[in-house]
Amino acid sequence: MKNRELTLNIFRYDPNIPGREPYMQPYSLQETEGMTIFIALNQIRENQDPSLKFDFVCRAAICGSCGMLVNGRPRLACKTLTRDLPEVITLMPLPVFKLIGDLSVDTGSWFRQLSIKTGAWVHSDKSFNPNCQEERMSNETALKIYEAERCIECGCCIAGCATANIRDDFLGAAGLYKIARFMVDPRDERPEEKYFDVVSSEEGVFGCLGLMACEDNCPMELPLQVQLAYVRRKMALIGFRV
Amino acid sequence: MQFQRIVTGKIKSDLYYDLIELFSGLFLAGFLGMHLIFESSIIAGKKVFNNLSQTLDENYLALAGISLVVVVFFIHFLTAGRRIPTRCKEQKIIWHHTGRLRHLNTWAWVLQIITGIIILILGSIHMWVVVTDRPIKAETSALRIQSGYLWFYVILLLLSVVHAGIGIYRQFIKWGWFPRKPLGYVIGFISIFFILLGFTALFTFLRAGGL
Ligand code: FES
Repeated sequence: MKNRELTLNIFRYDPNIPGREPYMQPYSLQETEGMTIFIALNQIRENQDPSLKFDFVCRAAICGSCGMLVNGRPRLACKTLTRDLPEVITLMPLPVFKLIGDLSVDTGSWFRQLSIKTGAWVHSDKSFNPNCQEERMSNETALKIYEAERCIECGCCIAGCATANIRDDFLGAAGLYKIARFMVDPRDERPEEKYFDVVSSEEGVFGCLGLMACEDNCPMELPLQVQLAYVRRKMALIGFRV
Repeated sequence: MQFQRIVTGKIKSDLYYDLIELFSGLFLAGFLGMHLIFESSIIAGKKVFNNLSQTLDENYLALAGISLVVVVFFIHFLTAGRRIPTRCKEQKIIWHHTGRLRHLNTWAWVLQIITGIIILILGSIHMWVVVTDRPIKAETSALRIQSGYLWFYVILLLLSVVHAGIGIYRQFIKWGWFPRKPLGYVIGFISIFFILLGFTALFTFLRAGGL
C-alpha cells in the first residue's frame, strides 16, 4: 500500500480560557506502516503542536484512557489503525464526560460516581478468617464473573448511547454491566431489592432504549446486549416479587 | 438514598410503564397484522370481504375490537411517548449525536419517533373515519380510496409497518428474546410481506370499478 498523506481534523477547545470558542484544526502528516491514531497524535504533538491535549497510558487497549470520536464513532485511539480509515480523519472528544481540553475527557470521575451509585464492591457481612480455607466457587461462576470484569471503562458505550447523551444520571451499558457482575457473584450478599433500587428506574435498565450503539461501539466487543437483557429480565422478576 | 426517595417508597412505575409500552405495542402490532390480513380478503373478492366484515360485526367483534384498539392506541402513545426527547436542547443533542454516529439502530429509533408522531395523527383520522362510517363494506372502502384517500392509506400503511417492525425488533433486543442478526432479517422479511399485502389490497380497492 502506498503511504498516504493524511489530514487529521482535530477538535480544539480549552474550557479554562474564557471567551475561547471551540474550533477544528487540520494537521497533515505522512502515514506510516501500521500507524494507529495514537501514533499519529504523538507525532503531531512532537513535531507540529505541543499544545495538543489527549490521553494515553497503555497504548495496548487495556487501560481505556484513549477513547475518542474517530470520524464520529467512539473508538480507542491506540487500537484504531489509520489504514482502516479514509485520508481525512476527524477526531473529537467523547461526549457525556467532562471535557478537560481538546481530545482529553475525564472518564475517571464519571466511573467513580458510577461505582459509588451502584455500590460496585462485594457486599458481605462475613468476617474474614485467615485460618479458614477460602470458599470455593464453581469454574462456571468464576468464568461468568471474569467475563463481566472485562470492561476497561473506556466510556465508548456511554458516548455512543443516545440516552446517556441527554440524561446525566443514566448508568449506561458500563454501569449495568458492572451491576450484572455483582449479581452473578455469590459472595455478594445484597438482597435482590437492593439491586432493584439501584437499577430498576429510568436511570437504570428501564431507561435503555435498546439502540445497541453500546454493543456496536464497544472496543472490547463485550456481549452488552445479552447482559443488559439479563439485568432487565431479572429486574422485572424482582419487581413482581418485592 | 435521599429523603424524598425514602419517603415515597419503592417506585415501580418505570417497570410498569416499560411493560405497558411493551404489551400495548405488541398488541397493536398484532392488530396491524390481523387488520392487513382481513383487509386483503378483498383480493379474494368483494363478497368475501363483505361476509367477513358482516361476521365480525354480527358477533360484536368489530365493535369490541375497534374500541379496544382505540384505547390501546392512546395508552401506547402515552407510555412509549414519554421517551421522546421533548426539550429543544435534547433534540439538538440527539440530531448531532445521530448524525455523527452513523449507527443504523440509532437512526431506526429516530425514524420510529417520527413515524410514531405521524401515525398518532393519521391513525386518529383513520379511526375516526372508520368509526363514523360503520359498518365496514367493500363499497364504502373502495369509494374512500378512489376519492383521493389513496395516498393517505399508502403513507399510513408504510409508516405503521415500519414503526411496528422497528418497535418489535427493539423490544426483542431489550429483553434478549432472540439473537440480533437473524431477528433483523426475520422482521425485515415480515415487514416487506405486509407492505406488499397492503399494497395489493389497496390496488384491488382502487381497481374495484362499478361498485
Ligand atoms: S491507551 Fe490504554 S486503551 Fe488506549
